[in-house]
Amino acid sequence: MNILVACKIVPDDQDITVASDGSLDSSRAHEIVSQYDLNAIEAAAQLKEANEGSTLKAISVGPKKADDSKTKKDILSRGVDELYLMADDSLADLDSRATATELAKLVNKAGDWDVIIVGDGSADDYAKQTGVQLACALDVPYVAGATNLSFQEGNLEIQRNLESESEDIELAVPAVVSVSPEIAEPRIAGMRDILKAGKKPQNVEAAEEKPEESIETVSIKAPKQADRKQEVFDASDGEGLDKFVSAVKEVL
Amino acid sequence: MNAFVLAETENGARELCAGARQIADEVTLFTFGNAVTGVADKCLHLQIPEDAIADDAYPSVNESFDASGAKVVLAEPTVRVTSLAGRLAAHANTAAVPGVNALKDGVATSVYFGGTGVKESKPETDVSVYLISAGTFDGTQATGTDTVEEVEFKAPEKLAVKKGTAALPKSDIDLASADKIVACGRGFAKEEDLQLARDFASKIGAEVACSRPLSEGVNWFPREAYVGVSGAVVKPDVYFAVGISGQMQHMVGCNDSGTVIAINSDKNAPIFKQCDVGIVGDLKDVLPALTKAL
Repeated sequence: MNILVACKIVPDDQDITVASDGSLDSSRAHEIVSQYDLNAIEAAAQLKEANEGSTLKAISVGPKKADDSKTKKDILSRGVDELYLMADDSLADLDSRATATELAKLVNKAGDWDVIIVGDGSADDYAKQTGVQLACALDVPYVAGATNLSFQEGNLEIQRNLESESEDIELAVPAVVSVSPEIAEPRIAGMRDILKAGKKPQNVEAAEEKPEESIETVSIKAPKQADRKQEVFDASDGEGLDKFVSAVKEVL
Repeated sequence: MNAFVLAETENGARELCAGARQIADEVTLFTFGNAVTGVADKCLHLQIPEDAIADDAYPSVNESFDASGAKVVLAEPTVRVTSLAGRLAAHANTAAVPGVNALKDGVATSVYFGGTGVKESKPETDVSVYLISAGTFDGTQATGTDTVEEVEFKAPEKLAVKKGTAALPKSDIDLASADKIVACGRGFAKEEDLQLARDFASKIGAEVACSRPLSEGVNWFPREAYVGVSGAVVKPDVYFAVGISGQMQHMVGCNDSGTVIAINSDKNAPIFKQCDVGIVGDLKDVLPALTKAL
């Protein structure tokens, strides 16, 4: 079967700092594959490996800096055969509908496909909307939150967890499936996989035109910090530990 | 203006209808859970066929939305309603605004990068769709009639087949409703040292949680126990941060706690600027002293 996996390249949230004016600064952050999209790539790679003769291509849409050689290699070292990336500053911070519109263009360039796998949500907005919007753009069925995924007799067999129950679902292809992070632990690529990744085909292109957006971002700021008493003791002072214990007793 | 509420739980329906009432003259509730009365001007109820998934009710949802004349959609962020909200947003040529925890004059406040930031955004389209987090509106304020209309399930051309369903076991970690939490961080050098935190937690009736490195770095804890960005966001009365440095990525998960108490051996750890009570000391001395004294 022919599998596509969509992933988002984002700044590493561990590197985001707060500037003095309360705005977020991601200028020094490394570009990485959004955390739960790594689980999606792994689920897709396992589906490919379980079905002999399958192909796996990754698709991604993002700003110019998403065209990052280390990150592209990272994607291609995880069982992905080929990458289709649309990287252009007009594609920064798109809403889910605009992202899906652009991803659909890459889907049409990536050849025949049976299933498109997407992650649970991206690190930035965690919208859980790009998969369903992509299904709408391509006019195919969509199932969210798969915790298990296999291909049997021409159909996808899906298990998923809702809030208080699980469901077993059969789905004909072509379809879009979003996967829950627990579906698969991302692999740690070996040196050979990383070297091989450098030789795999990468199709990187600019945007054809700036996509139409539905949502306007009004502001992005750091959250307000709570005011705390900051009564701090030192255990190396003779009575520091006792005083601390008393203070804790008072709180409880 | 009319508002369209998409919900599957009774609580969700109540809260969202109460919120919708603040911004709209007329509120239509669409649910595939139990019909809820007294919260909207009309409750549209759809029974999902045994062998179908609720996500595939979108032709019925979209048709009901069109008939309602609503311009605003408030949706409950469950797995299935999130799918339906996406289908409805695409149908109305817009994108749903996710993770909304406040809504004023059409501007939604959402978490960004798991709480590292706060994002304000506003749909520019004719129709606005918002996925509203639990607790955003006060469900007791909902008012409405007892009118319930049954809606027919109209299958899409291609649909999923539900083969079976089973109840999920309840997780034994319940951080959301805990009034005391003892959170462990990288200051724990060895896994066996966690027993000190567990002993203390059981003495005071607290849940034990962790920062990201202990759940995703060394796997000493399951994912549900991790507080912070893309983990759990908690607001207990008392939060003990033990061996946690206090990086923003962790603190966004516990900033709303009543009292924050910090134990850390590094006197320069940022946690000491974000706690009410703290001690610079070795957790291996401090935790047993607390367990003994309380």
